[in-house]
Amino acid sequence: MNKKSVWKSSFSFPKETGRIFFLMNDKEIEDLTSAKSEIANNSFLAESLFNQGYEVIPIISPEYSKTLKENLKTQYSPAVIYIKGNKQILSEKSIAIVGSRSASDISLEFTDNIARLASLDYKVVVSGFAKGIDKQALDSAIKYKGQSIIVLPQGILTFGTGFKTYYRQIVDGDVIVLSTFFPKAPWSTGLAMARNPIIYGLANEIYVAESSDSGGTWSGVKDGLRKNRIIYVRKPDANENNANQLLIDLGAKAVDFAGNIIQGTIGENKELTLF
Amino acid sequence: MTREEAEILLRNRFGIDRFYDEQWDVIQLLLKGERVLLIEKTGYGKSLCFQFPSVILPGITVVFSPLIALMRDQVNKLKSLGVSAECINSNQTTGENLSVIERAKSGAIKILYIAPERQDNSDWTEAARTLKISLIVVDEAHCISVWGHDFRPSFRRIINLVKLLPKGLPVIATTATATTRVENDVASQIGGGITIIRGRLLRENLRLYVVKVRNEDEKMIWLGKYLLNNEGSGIIYTGTRVNTEIYSKWFEYLKIPSTSYSAGLDAATRVETEKGLKENRWKCIISTNALGMGIDKPDIRFIIHTQIPQSPIHYYQEIGRAGRDGLPADIILFYNPEDKSLPVSFIEGGRPSARKYEQVMAAIRHEPLGEKDLMRKTNLKQTPVRVIKSDLMEQGIIREALYGRSKKFEYIPGAPKLDTSVFEQLRALKTSELDKMIDYVETRESRMKFLCRFLGDSTNTEYSNCDNTGLEKIRITEDPVLLKKLEDFRGDYFPLLDVESAKSKIVNGVASSFYGVSNVGNAIHRSKYENGGEFPDFLLIQTLRAFRKRFGQEKFDIIICVPPTISGDLVRNFAVKLSGTLKIPISHELVKCRKTAEQKIFENSCLKTDNVRDAFSYNNPENIRGKKILLIDDVFDSGATIKEIGRYLTNLGAANIAPLVIAKTIGGDLHD
Repeated sequence: MNKKSVWKSSFSFPKETGRIFFLMNDKEIEDLTSAKSEIANNSFLAESLFNQGYEVIPIISPEYSKTLKENLKTQYSPAVIYIKGNKQILSEKSIAIVGSRSASDISLEFTDNIARLASLDYKVVVSGFAKGIDKQALDSAIKYKGQSIIVLPQGILTFGTGFKTYYRQIVDGDVIVLSTFFPKAPWSTGLAMARNPIIYGLANEIYVAESSDSGGTWSGVKDGLRKNRIIYVRKPDANENNANQLLIDLGAKAVDFAGNIIQGTIGENKELTLF
Repeated sequence: MTREEAEILLRNRFGIDRFYDEQWDVIQLLLKGERVLLIEKTGYGKSLCFQFPSVILPGITVVFSPLIALMRDQVNKLKSLGVSAECINSNQTTGENLSVIERAKSGAIKILYIAPERQDNSDWTEAARTLKISLIVVDEAHCISVWGHDFRPSFRRIINLVKLLPKGLPVIATTATATTRVENDVASQIGGGITIIRGRLLRENLRLYVVKVRNEDEKMIWLGKYLLNNEGSGIIYTGTRVNTEIYSKWFEYLKIPSTSYSAGLDAATRVETEKGLKENRWKCIISTNALGMGIDKPDIRFIIHTQIPQSPIHYYQEIGRAGRDGLPADIILFYNPEDKSLPVSFIEGGRPSARKYEQVMAAIRHEPLGEKDLMRKTNLKQTPVRVIKSDLMEQGIIREALYGRSKKFEYIPGAPKLDTSVFEQLRALKTSELDKMIDYVETRESRMKFLCRFLGDSTNTEYSNCDNTGLEKIRITEDPVLLKKLEDFRGDYFPLLDVESAKSKIVNGVASSFYGVSNVGNAIHRSKYENGGEFPDFLLIQTLRAFRKRFGQEKFDIIICVPPTISGDLVRNFAVKLSGTLKIPISHELVKCRKTAEQKIFENSCLKTDNVRDAFSYNNPENIRGKKILLIDDVFDSGATIKEIGRYLTNLGAANIAPLVIAKTIGGDLHD
């Protein structure tokens, strides 16, 4: 059982080893030791989680999403992720389709089309499980028999009805549910915001269907651009009332309905995306 | 801490002078934070190996134990020594359990006993996060292994838990009965560089005998004589519940104080029975093997099996309770070659067909289902569903998860195919173990040595504690006085039909005989299935005697007979004769309003109940109101038909329904 070895390998070493090989100070060693003493207690909760098919994947595990670790760097990656479902999905090529909770029909159709193309191409669709674009991305991936990751804005134990809704897909290995929060944490705005970088981090490619000039998508994309991520934004029609063009101007790549880059529309900060 | 210091503490806290060497070895290992598997015979003092360290260690000791009776015993004992011990189990109220959890959190409890199933409970797993745990104990650790004699799926949860525990947290697993195979299995599952300590299994004070008999009468007569002439109290194990009833009635007839004990008893009665045994209220308890492992009475003077156990492990386990005070105890096994058929039928009939497994898997693949949902979806009954789900969980095909507040089975993504070869292997193992048990009967060498060797202890010792090694063999001799008594008993003993319930006006009835133990069954069979004509008159005479014994003082308004499925007018004509003799008018107005299948083709009482539900109607229902009814049938099996008619007539306003049948079947339910 690799679960066991993960706990063990990170915690069983004498103090001297810690000082010499890991260059830890006494405070750090003490923290680690007290963390160790809590393992026994947490084992009871952990066993109950494992018995129900939940898994805890620490960052040092080979099962941890490499995409996530590369995108967020070790320092900003969550120390553990909680999952239920086919974890093989975490090592596939992936795209995220993001956008507002109240999106226009054209944005939803775009989302459907991108999810279809991704599924055809065996790419996993990462969904934040919010209303609007997120939900459409997930539903479309399922419709086109693709695979998806549901990234929860809450602890994984509080997703009860969702597990029932996506039961078939989870059993068939097409959906994995993932959370980075304490298993019993209920939904909150704060967690929803904290989840956004995880969605971006889990995806090799990021598509924006529709963004307003504030809110989660807006700040998420700006954050992504700042971190030098390539972000594809649906090129809006002239009459659309959203901030897609603004994001393109900030450096995101404009794409057409099929996700192809529209040449000559790269925004002003084009040097940012050319690396 | 040196051994001397420890033994001073031992005297002060436990009132015991010194440790055995092995006990001290175990304690030292645990104090060093290691894992230990301890295999020692019953009565050795295994508990001290974890109770002692638990009073030294700073935090709490959590003991997983499968037996509530045993938990209760140990907690009481520890409390009397001033050690704060408690248990959490399903016999206590949620409030009681929660208050124990609170006290454990505050550090007020040193030793906490819990059932492994408790891992399902979120109050407990949540609380465990805040406990300061110093030591984990897995009691009756053979329950971890499918190769053991008492595998329990919930023990698998403990293994998963132990695997998550950090190195350096001591774990001790204990058992009195593990073959080498089970020992290796348990040790490798617990892992973590576990040290195995195995003691000698020899019990010198047990005096082992095997008595070969030709029939049940010889057992009953010999037992009667033995109980009338020997000091001390003990346990008699029978293979079936029916036999616990027959034996206890026989002893009652001989005025020997005794009581029967089986899995059918409710918790309160069980506690009362265990208590009575300890207080020597009875000469003996007659039990199926439900008595479990939890009776802690030091002076059990005899353990007698009237039916051969399934394996030498079962046998060693069951006789282990005798003579814990070190004084001699008689261990007697009766053997009639016919007895083998009972354990054989149990081994052969153990598992549902592969098709039923597929059905269950398909249903769970489709949606998460609870046990009841599953029964509805698959049209299978509780017993097979439970066997199947336990096997599927064991094979990693399904698991149990919480959906909201309710537990449901779900399919595991990427689950392996069902492997039925495991069932074959287990069946083969059980068959070979039963053969070994027969070898025990036939062996000419030391019986103790035989058992010890089977259980992995091959130490060479001179044994002198059995009828092959010095003790005089027990031989059956004729005893005309007791034989006469037994005949009188048989003539006067009429099996009870236990059908009473709060909602029904039906009362416990009576049968003239058991189906299988006399010529009654044969006579019925000839008439019913071999065109043997009417039920012969001796059945009428026998049934009238049963009636007079149980219902002689009562007045009945009407006789009603159970409408037949296939046997035509046999019961009807029989009831007419009874009616003529008893001068009670008969009614033929109870009829079947739909076709039913023969009850005997169904394997369990759920199915039987379903088969007859709402199957009867009475032509002039107004004639039933306020009437006292004598209800007649030929064979009483599960009682489902009688109970259903009782329910129906109760609804029509009957004042009293008393069942009277010719024979009651003896169920082949080895373990119930």
